[in-house]
Amino acid sequence: MENRTKHLFLKPLCLAAGLCTAAAGQAQEDRPLIEPDVTPVPVTEALIDTENFEIGAFVGVLNIEDFESSLLYGGKLTYHLSESFFFEAGVGFAEGGETSFEKLAGDVEVLTDSERDYSYYNINLGYNVLPGEAFLTENYAFNTNFYLIAGAGATEFAGDTRFTLNAGAGYQVLLTDSVSVHFGVRQHFYDIDVLGEEKTSVNTEVSTGLSVFF
Amino acid sequence: MPIAILMILLLLPAQSWAGGLWGSEGQDVARVQVTEAYLSWRTGPASGYPVFHTSEKGEWLTILQRKTNWIKVMDSRGREGWVSVADLAQTVDVTGETVSLQVPDLDSFGKRRAEAGLMMGEFDGAAVMAGYGGLWLTRNLSAELWGSQILGSASEIRMVNGNLVHQPFPDWRISPFFTLGIGHIWVEPKASLAQPEERDNSIGHAGLGIRAYITDRYFIRAEVKDYKVFTTRSTNEEATEWKIGLSIFF
Repeated sequence: MENRTKHLFLKPLCLAAGLCTAAAGQAQEDRPLIEPDVTPVPVTEALIDTENFEIGAFVGVLNIEDFESSLLYGGKLTYHLSESFFFEAGVGFAEGGETSFEKLAGDVEVLTDSERDYSYYNINLGYNVLPGEAFLTENYAFNTNFYLIAGAGATEFAGDTRFTLNAGAGYQVLLTDSVSVHFGVRQHFYDIDVLGEEKTSVNTEVSTGLSVFF
Repeated sequence: MPIAILMILLLLPAQSWAGGLWGSEGQDVARVQVTEAYLSWRTGPASGYPVFHTSEKGEWLTILQRKTNWIKVMDSRGREGWVSVADLAQTVDVTGETVSLQVPDLDSFGKRRAEAGLMMGEFDGAAVMAGYGGLWLTRNLSAELWGSQILGSASEIRMVNGNLVHQPFPDWRISPFFTLGIGHIWVEPKASLAQPEERDNSIGHAGLGIRAYITDRYFIRAEVKDYKVFTTRSTNEEATEWKIGLSIFF
């Protein structure tokens, strides 16, 4: 008896419940299962963050021929043409010291204080010869570049502006895709006649710097 | 060495800070689906870096950034790597369209709208360095603005020029051109000379040259220009200049 009563009540109940879920299921099918959290946008050049420019500051030592070594600081702007080639424009500031002659003779000055201010600019073409990786730990590596670079510019020192060639090499360690550290050595060449006959002055620069891609 | 370590340590928090500053979140996300059999991933943005992973057909990738002709992508599991633009151009985006990323070629060289470059050479026996920018008015005609520095043994010269350039054959890989322009020149004699006398004059020039497309978005440009310096004296001065350099176009 009890069984029949259960049957009587449960049957319609189950039917109703079944119909309800079916209806609910149908309603749900109209909507996508997962709501997209991004609006669909076509991929174009403008949508992609392109980082071909690099701006940086550096500090180092510049050995000025006949005028001692000096602290050197400056900045540079780089444009990466391709994975291998890049343009670099740089400026640097240093200060020439005393010549041996001035030190030995005592009360003699070859240059005035303002003439000892050394500044240069240059425009260079660089080539990444050895792209590579530096492994810090088992799971972490920094991308690196060993590059050769050469170019021309001007140096203002000892009262005149002189045409200056420069060439060197650098090692770049990319801490992230946007921030890198540079270590570099450059030779600067210009003709100067401040100490008698005209000669080619060869100045060595050793510097390290930080740069940011944008 | 401790300074170097300190610099690195100081930079580590800056990365997360930089991300917030430039608002990498909340922007439209560029996503693409691989349609070729596979897509190679490299560890860095150059063909010298090793391939360490491949994406299968049908996989969705998120584009993070681009450096020259390489694009950094991330897959659904958060892995990151670099794929070439040429490979990425074989994918489709969320709208189902093929991704419209192009590697510049000879065809785009012929259709360039702007160019800029750096050149070096000789101006009347002295070294010259020059930079320029140019806009294309038609496919044959462009307007350019130049800045030059000339460092001779007797003087330092600065020069600014504006000129029109005509190229008769825009589709040629090696394309000749003619140019005509005017400008201004500032001459500053060297301090070591006995009678330093600064002067500045107007100039006019005419020249011819060639552009030679190399690859990607850059080309070599070489030119010869003949300058006439309009002095206040009874005769005008003349100078011949040749230059060669590398330019990029957009």
